[in-house]
Amino acid sequence: MSLLTLRRNFFNVHVITTTKIYRENCLRWYIGDLASYDFIPKKYRHLSATNKFTMFCEKAVELIRELHRMGDGQLPAFNEDGIRQVLEEMKALYEQNQTDVNEAKTEGKSELIPSIKFRHSCLLRNQRCIAAYLYDRLLRIRALRWEYGSVLPTTIRFHMCAEEMEWFNQYKKSLATYMRSIGGEEGLDITQDMKPPKSLYIEVRCLKDHGEFEIDDGTVILLKKNSQHFLPRWKCEQLIRQGVLEHVIS
Amino acid sequence: MCPPVTLKSLFDWLFPQRRNQMCKKQIWRHRRNTETLSIKQQGLCFKTRTNAEVIIFFIHLNFIRLNFNMFVTDIRKEFYDVVVNQRVALFVSPDIDALCACKVLQALFHCDQVQYTLVPVAGWQDLGTAFMEHKEQYQYFVLINCGANVDLLETLQPEEDSVFFICDTHRPVDVVNVYNDTQIKLLIKQDDDLGVPSYDDIFRDDEEDEEGDGDDSGNESDGSAEPSGKRRRYDEDALERRIERQRARREWEARRREILFDYEQYEFHGTSAALVMFELAWVMSKDTKDMLWWSVIGVTDQWVHDKIPHMKYVTDIATLQRHVSRHNHRNEDEENSLSIDCMRITFEYDLRLVLYQHWSLYESICNSCYTSCSFKLWSINGQKKLQEFLADMGLPLKQVRQKFNSMDMSIKENLREVIEESANKFSMKDIRVQTFAVNFGFKNRFLASDVVHAAAALLENVEKDEMPTDNFIKALDCLSRSNLERLHLGIDLAKKKLKAIQQTVASCICTNLILSQGPFLYCHLLEGTPDVKLFSKPLALTLLCKYLLKAFICSTRNKRCKILPLIMAAPLDVEKGTVIVLGIPPESETSDKKNFFGRAFEKAAESTSSRTLHDHFDTSVIELKMEDRGKFLDALITLLS
Repeated sequence: MSLLTLRRNFFNVHVITTTKIYRENCLRWYIGDLASYDFIPKKYRHLSATNKFTMFCEKAVELIRELHRMGDGQLPAFNEDGIRQVLEEMKALYEQNQTDVNEAKTEGKSELIPSIKFRHSCLLRNQRCIAAYLYDRLLRIRALRWEYGSVLPTTIRFHMCAEEMEWFNQYKKSLATYMRSIGGEEGLDITQDMKPPKSLYIEVRCLKDHGEFEIDDGTVILLKKNSQHFLPRWKCEQLIRQGVLEHVIS
Repeated sequence: MCPPVTLKSLFDWLFPQRRNQMCKKQIWRHRRNTETLSIKQQGLCFKTRTNAEVIIFFIHLNFIRLNFNMFVTDIRKEFYDVVVNQRVALFVSPDIDALCACKVLQALFHCDQVQYTLVPVAGWQDLGTAFMEHKEQYQYFVLINCGANVDLLETLQPEEDSVFFICDTHRPVDVVNVYNDTQIKLLIKQDDDLGVPSYDDIFRDDEEDEEGDGDDSGNESDGSAEPSGKRRRYDEDALERRIERQRARREWEARRREILFDYEQYEFHGTSAALVMFELAWVMSKDTKDMLWWSVIGVTDQWVHDKIPHMKYVTDIATLQRHVSRHNHRNEDEENSLSIDCMRITFEYDLRLVLYQHWSLYESICNSCYTSCSFKLWSINGQKKLQEFLADMGLPLKQVRQKFNSMDMSIKENLREVIEESANKFSMKDIRVQTFAVNFGFKNRFLASDVVHAAAALLENVEKDEMPTDNFIKALDCLSRSNLERLHLGIDLAKKKLKAIQQTVASCICTNLILSQGPFLYCHLLEGTPDVKLFSKPLALTLLCKYLLKAFICSTRNKRCKILPLIMAAPLDVEKGTVIVLGIPPESETSDKKNFFGRAFEKAAESTSSRTLHDHFDTSVIELKMEDRGKFLDALITLLS
């Protein structure tokens, strides 16, 4: 026979369910599939779309969902607000748990233990979500170094918080040190030629007005929309990744 | 500029005082000889130079450049080897021939890894802006189908070290461009009948005369103080000489004006730029089938848009046919014949029906200029004749209206011969024309004219309101074999364009929109005309113009009108109130396609101070403000009558 536990359903009412169901629902949280968590009547479905969170850990999952929505490689703005709300929720839960634990210990109210356990698992859940969020962002920022080079466009820099910038600078430094250490005297730039090159020079077409562009021997090329150029491949790679030039294959 | 040493001038120098019998108009004048020759003297024998002079001349021969310097004789050495280690800027004009030449040149540059920048230029203003932007960074400029017919150095004002290689079909080549030996090199074949006036007839050293004048005036001023008897006599001699010299100079200038007027009066087109580039590739043994195909398209474009006479087209096709058989011959020896996916170019004596293999036969007959004008398909009689024609060939209507690829094989097999036979009965003698087709894969078969129409439709696509440079890039792309969807899109656009042309022609003829203004015919497309936006572009308007003229000649009974040229005006920009005006020469069997409207438009615009824009590289296409249309036309009428 399974234990009975307490949980709050969509209508914010405490209901008694079995531990098994409770555990299943917690599992659903881990998978992050909020839609299948509980039955939300149709007329209330709009409520879950707004910020009116009625369950714990929803804000944390919202953070994850936001990151998941932006495809691979794009960095959305750092959701300072979201993190703050999650941390507040965690603080509230922790304090509630503190008081309940003290009560349980002193007065021996063992019926508070399930809710303590419940809040503890919420806290763990929130921690895991935030950690995943921050780590995924770091991975994306790392990929940016390989894509854009050491100088990031300003739009992307606005999306990073101060600590992330710090991390990025450190990462840049380690990568630079590593690159200097390999490949003999001058080091080897491993961020170039990510795919094996087929030819020295490639034909590129300019997709937007980029202004002047200097190549190795000092000559300056004016990149105007719809002009085509035949340039050394290594100079063009950066701009192709940025979307200014397009490789023309004929 | 030192005068180039041509064989002719060499001969003339060796044997002075001998009238040049070849050019009757040009009275040749040796630079040393300041006296005009009496007729008797001209008829007399010649005086040769002393032996010593000749010997010294031949010694100095090594130091004299016998090369023209303006026309490049060895295109490989003087053009390609010069630019192969440099960075080049390519300025390309928006027509299909230029696109093909550009593709060939790009392929060559890719082979040798010449860094280049390709900038499409739509007119003189674009060329000027592009040059300003790039003149700091580039020393060598290649201009394709632009820049030959106007004094380039004056227009662009380049630095001393900029070098321009001009591969242009526009004739006549401006004389300053021809005789410039440092900065301008013309990649033009010299067997095109260029008729460039000789150097001495147009340019002269002004130093001689100034010197002489200076002496005289100096003497005069000295002499005016205290004229002694002796000095007075000297002064009189000097005065006589000066008057003589001035008279000679006036005569020379009058002659010069006449010569230049004759030279620049008619504009026409020379050998295709794509063919010139292909021959460069061939000389370097770097020619491929792709390049050959592009040069075929370039020559066909000149024929489709009626830029060259039929004889020249046939000659160029014969040249290309030699290259095609050379390329095909390579693969016949091998045991394993070429895979079906490889590109194969074949010489065809195919029908003159536009896009017939990508359309239905019926539609193609209705929308091709040749057949439509022969049958007069805008009238009911014409439709009946068409039905008779189809019945005569034994082709069921159902089959003929189907897509060509879905027609019965039994009909398709002998189609060309059957159509030719029937066409002869209906007085269409030239229903077949020599052209080339390309095959690659099982599905893809294109005639050269198909590609020309597709590329032209893409180049002048007005459907999406895109910038002209976007369209240029799309048209350039469609010429590569890997962009077949774009080519098919182009073919669809071309079909729409041809239908629009057909309908416009029909409506113009039926509503008698073509008016005879005396020395020319005139037609004005009103703003509300359907598809009038299509005709705001020069190539489409040219096609419409030629079609309309042919149709008019077929439909009118007035004999005099049949030999008149046609001027057409179509709205260009409704907001700015401009129209695009285009003139084409009269239609005749043996016409040499020489167009005098360029100069005529210029003069008319000057005399009436109309607000015109002569921006196109073809001087017979201009933009004009709506309000000035009336006085402009009146000026033209007076000018040309």
